[in-house]
Amino acid sequence: MSALVLDNGAYSAKIGYARDGVSIIPNCQFRSKTSRLKTFTANQLDEIKDPSGLFYILPFQKGYLVNWDVQRKVWDHLFGKEMFKVDFADTSIVITEPYFNFSSIQESMNEILFEEYQFQAALRINAGSLSAHRYFHENSSELCCIVVDSGFSFTHIVPYCRGRKMKDGICRINVGGKLLTNHLKEIISYRQLHVMDETHVINQVKEDVCYVSQDFFKDVETAQLKGEENTVMRDYVLPDFSAIKKGFCKPREEMNFTGKYKTSEQILRLNNERFAVPEMLFHPSDIGIQEMGIPEALVNSIKNMPEEMQPHFFKNIVLTGGNALFPGFRERVYHEVRALTPTEFQVSVILPQNPICYPWEGGKLLSENPDFEEMVVTREDYEENGHFICEEKFDI
Amino acid sequence: MVEKKVSMRSQDPNQRRVLDSATRQRRLTRQLEALEKDNFQDDPHASLPQLAKRLPQFDESNEPNEQGKRRKKTRGDHFKLRFRKNFQALLEEEDLSVSEGPNYLTACAEPSKFPQRHFCAVCGFPSHYTCVSCGARYCCVRCLGTHHETRCLKWTV
Repeated sequence: MSALVLDNGAYSAKIGYARDGVSIIPNCQFRSKTSRLKTFTANQLDEIKDPSGLFYILPFQKGYLVNWDVQRKVWDHLFGKEMFKVDFADTSIVITEPYFNFSSIQESMNEILFEEYQFQAALRINAGSLSAHRYFHENSSELCCIVVDSGFSFTHIVPYCRGRKMKDGICRINVGGKLLTNHLKEIISYRQLHVMDETHVINQVKEDVCYVSQDFFKDVETAQLKGEENTVMRDYVLPDFSAIKKGFCKPREEMNFTGKYKTSEQILRLNNERFAVPEMLFHPSDIGIQEMGIPEALVNSIKNMPEEMQPHFFKNIVLTGGNALFPGFRERVYHEVRALTPTEFQVSVILPQNPICYPWEGGKLLSENPDFEEMVVTREDYEENGHFICEEKFDI
Repeated sequence: MVEKKVSMRSQDPNQRRVLDSATRQRRLTRQLEALEKDNFQDDPHASLPQLAKRLPQFDESNEPNEQGKRRKKTRGDHFKLRFRKNFQALLEEEDLSVSEGPNYLTACAEPSKFPQRHFCAVCGFPSHYTCVSCGARYCCVRCLGTHHETRCLKWTV
């Protein structure tokens, strides 16, 4: 019996057998302007030679699985002979779902896993619970931790005490990687070059040049300086998908501060955009989303916990999800939480080596746990008891 | 833009049109909704003729396990009927306003206790001034000019 762990994110699926490693695969379909007859699924993205104007078909909406047609096509591809060659009768699946997943989505999930694919057994769980499991596995002396999961659709802050999630402390900030990319697209399109159709390219720009500022207003001042003194400004060479396959940042030595280049490369000049975009995670109100930023929400969430637990949460803040990869993210969270917390508390913010795959690693550990058999629902259980048994066993 | 426009001629020429707070809020909501979109361009396949539908499907009757195929098809339809709901429909179906305990609606972060910061709608630097007509922020006369020419009272994305 093998265990397949699938952290089913709204943008990318983190999938792999527990005995092997993990792969990050786009959890969506694509259409391209150049190959007009084909819809590309998941990692077939690599086959598209010219991914400009890439059209996305995503199974998720606001972080919840709504388009099952697309999801099943992606899963067919992932489980099929081209990729993981799943022998369903001999495989247990560990699959993640968002917090407060709607009950009708949960029921569809049961039906598809057990009736459509006929997995031998399944465990449906929140990605954050897997992260917490991973964290407690490595830090067995700790009693509590608070997981920040900042992904594509939104950011969740969830306290865990001895492996149990504290539902009252769950807090969602409606800012995720998708909003950041769209916002960057919008301001670049307004200020210099129309890129509204280039989600794929601009997402790469975001990953390459954006960073979290440690002192926002100081960076603002630097960005207002002219020429050489402006250490924030970068020129980004856009890909043309013939000579330049992937965009890149011009090295500082080669930068021409007048902005006029003799070469035919297409250049984006990025200045305050570099740090103003990830700033949305810390001040959603900057673009009019009236919600707390991550550090404030963290402190607020911990304040709602029983008093004796609070010090334990402050020293076990775990950052996961793709947005945790912005340079300076951990330091900024630490400094702001530190500033909002009484000095007698110790504050410690942990950024795992691979914040995207941290939940997957937790799922792997969980599937190797001796209690794993107790946690899953088998196909026989499901056929006997239906949704009821899943509702009882799974804590979503 | 679907806003009702008051005829310019019936107004005093010196009086600039000023949006009320409800309109401003609507515009903001529309901007935030735009940030949730997956794509801004049209589906490149949208203009293609639906070839698959027009051509007769010869291979169907030759399929060896016809029964299995038919079963799968009905399942698909069943899924379409039951599960093709968008996020808003699902949210309404859950009827969370009456349910007890933490749920999707209660989990949303509260408004920040810190004062809101303001940035120029044109260049993105801190701004001190507000456009009288539409409430957008700007930082200098140059940006105000750009704002009037491009976005003020027109909309965008």
